[in-house]
Amino acid sequence: MATRHRLGPRFIGPGAAVLLALPVLAPVLVVLTAPWHAEAKEWDHVWRTVLPAHTAETLLLLVGTVGLATALGTGCAWLVAAFDFPGRRLFRWALVLPLAVPTYISAITYAALLGPTGSISLRVHGATGWRPDIVDLPGLCAVLGLVLYPYIYLPARAVFTGGLRDALDAARLLGAHGMRRFGAVAVPLARPAIAGGALLVAMETLNDYGAVKYYGIRTLTTAIFQSWGGLYDLGSALRIGGLLVGLVALLLMLERRSRRHRRQATDGPALRRTPLRGTRGWVAAAACGLVLGLGFVLPAAKLLVDAWSVLPRWEAATDLMALGHTVGVATGAAVATLLLALLLLFAWRHGRGPWVRALVQASGLGYAIPGAVIAVGVMTAAGVIDRALGLPFTLIGSIGVLAYAFAVRFLAVALQPVQGGLARQSTAQDEAARLLGASPLRTFLRINLPPLRPVLWAALVLVAIDVIKELPLTLILRPFDFDTLSTRVFEQARIEALEAAAPPALLIVLCGLVPVLVVDRLAERRTQR
Amino acid sequence: MSKHRTHLLDRWPVLLFLLFVACTGGGSTGKKADREVNVYSHRHYDTDKALFDAFTQATGITVNLVLADDNEVLARLEREGERSPCDLLITSDAGRLGQARLRGLLRPVHSALLDSVVPATLRDPEGHWYGLTMRARVLAYNKTKVRPEELPTYQALTAPQWKGRLLARSAENLYNQSLMAAFVAHYGPDSALAWARGVAANFARDPKGSDTDQLLAVAEGIGDVALANSYYIGKLMSGTEPERAKAREVLAVALPTMGGAGTHVNVSGAGVVKHARHEAEAIALLEYLLGAEAQRAFAEGNKEYPVRPGVAVDPVLASFGALNPDTLDLAQLGLNNATAVKQLQAAGWR
Repeated sequence: MATRHRLGPRFIGPGAAVLLALPVLAPVLVVLTAPWHAEAKEWDHVWRTVLPAHTAETLLLLVGTVGLATALGTGCAWLVAAFDFPGRRLFRWALVLPLAVPTYISAITYAALLGPTGSISLRVHGATGWRPDIVDLPGLCAVLGLVLYPYIYLPARAVFTGGLRDALDAARLLGAHGMRRFGAVAVPLARPAIAGGALLVAMETLNDYGAVKYYGIRTLTTAIFQSWGGLYDLGSALRIGGLLVGLVALLLMLERRSRRHRRQATDGPALRRTPLRGTRGWVAAAACGLVLGLGFVLPAAKLLVDAWSVLPRWEAATDLMALGHTVGVATGAAVATLLLALLLLFAWRHGRGPWVRALVQASGLGYAIPGAVIAVGVMTAAGVIDRALGLPFTLIGSIGVLAYAFAVRFLAVALQPVQGGLARQSTAQDEAARLLGASPLRTFLRINLPPLRPVLWAALVLVAIDVIKELPLTLILRPFDFDTLSTRVFEQARIEALEAAAPPALLIVLCGLVPVLVVDRLAERRTQR
Repeated sequence: MSKHRTHLLDRWPVLLFLLFVACTGGGSTGKKADREVNVYSHRHYDTDKALFDAFTQATGITVNLVLADDNEVLARLEREGERSPCDLLITSDAGRLGQARLRGLLRPVHSALLDSVVPATLRDPEGHWYGLTMRARVLAYNKTKVRPEELPTYQALTAPQWKGRLLARSAENLYNQSLMAAFVAHYGPDSALAWARGVAANFARDPKGSDTDQLLAVAEGIGDVALANSYYIGKLMSGTEPERAKAREVLAVALPTMGGAGTHVNVSGAGVVKHARHEAEAIALLEYLLGAEAQRAFAEGNKEYPVRPGVAVDPVLASFGALNPDTLDLAQLGLNNATAVKQLQAAGWR
């Protein structure tokens, strides 16, 4: 391989790529190294009194939410991929819609409907004497699972639709009935895709603060905020953040393990669908309808009704300005995040040594850390740069630092699908390119990336959706007089004026719908190729 | 893939960049004013925005605003250091103001006007911060089931008669923490722990939801007494939403005392930032917010107790009874907050 750097641009190699992407790791490193640089005066108390209960409830929430999301995502994906039933074409794309609803908005909306004093609960109580109350741990698992399942539905549907025809035909010839074909063939072959989605669901659940706080659930994230804001002990808060990262690293390892030694479905001809006739067809339609109704239609309808009721005093100008800011920030942050992800993946694909792989894996961990903690890491890093450059002003509160913070936070969202796509490419083509004298970068740009174009777009759009929904980073890192839709929702919800929060909340959902449908189209195009 | 298509896709990054710049304006605030004051605030109220606008009208000084949570704001101020653009810090907790002072983020301000308007117990002795409004942590009860004489003090809540009848939000909440900090300051950590245990033992349900949710739960008979902030009660009682009519009918308010001392109050307040570049403007804004007109707006618009003597309390709040605030040095709330949170956690107050 002595000739490998002979031709093509060689100004940037895998090592340099990692160096360029290193700032993304800085905030995660600030968190992970906290035991060595941040004094934690209350750690003893936190360890003995706070962590046991908070860890237990975190794990329960995690199991419940990820379990439900996996069941719903996989089940719905199998229904629309393998069967024909009334409304299938609609459900196929509509089942992605909950992705546009931020978890905190869905959670608070559900509490307003089915909480102890929610409007539906009051009616049920009036009629039957029984009071529904979903504001508890199982209720939150249900609410989060119903909003987050599309993270699993999308990749599972892609595999079921496009990668299984031969395997399922073989199973059919061997006489396997429907449920067995699903359980023994389809799910195991789709397992890497499902596990990847489940990991994103787990991280979304772990970093949630708004919903768990409102539902009174004690999680590691609420422990972080109690230590930071209540005990005035940022050191302990960062250590809990480190635990959170450790938990995710564990999940990540489990996910990798599930991938190893497993045949992965490869793109193939589209699956032939079995028609479901009569009652069975309607049952399938009802199942999909229920998931869609609870995950999207009900919360969206509630927002619509509330927004309508406050329409006369809606501050349209402020919210439309916020809409513009939201679109702008989402665009900038998504592009920045994808570029950084590509730098890292370039090193991952063409670099040598286990440390590059470890670094790439670690860079995605920011997704599990609550936004406010990422913000502390980002502000610390920016403050250091301010001083190092001797700037007369601070970079904190600039759009650039905000976009950088989003990249830190959402890198995993861009990394995950693109890495999956790269992993499916044969390394033989890389070697062929390199033997022909192309540099690693040229190989990456000309050989690896072009077939992944739909995946790259999907990654871009997924990050944009997350940025649109994000709150804590935006809240603290924004410039003066810079509202986004999520900060508008927060300002109203904070003062317990939930109806007033409905118009911007509805705009977030609408604003997220466009990219959600784009992702769905892209996923479809990929599988139909 | 055709050549034409590649070209189109290659231009997308440019289009995305233009979209980004067009929508964010590259991050500039757009407003360029000769005289301005930069504010970080934790107060998310429409009254505040209206007051800032009125201030600009009156003085020609533009107010630039970042609204965010207290702890994050303190972290940002610390990390910005002497480069911080912020001039005035507004929070809704005396404890956080005390923390800001301890960490050297505020500067002392000497204004005869401010010192004469704000009572000595509601400001920092050296002028690092001044209270703007007071909020009391009080009890809302179902008047068909509870008599006000049964709720003379916060301590009364631990009596066995309240078993399964109390409602409060979680220990995560700032105002529960500051009430507990007051207990620690008055009676020591052990008595405070015993009190919190007693209250937690009487909860009708695990703490959850907002203050308003506790009030609605009392109206629904889920519990009989709720611990809540005066201005949430004031807003609910003066509202017109038909679905809350029942709550307005059923609820009454008691102003319990701390035993020897008065009712627990906290302030929202403001301090001039250490590295402020617009000190004069920041002081002008502070003085404006403590003026009679602004204090009336806080009282009427946001149902807070004005700190300026002579400004009338909103009639809805006045109907709760005359407030006899605890005169505890508010700096104690900040100093005892960590102990308070530890004891709340130890008491099993979720």
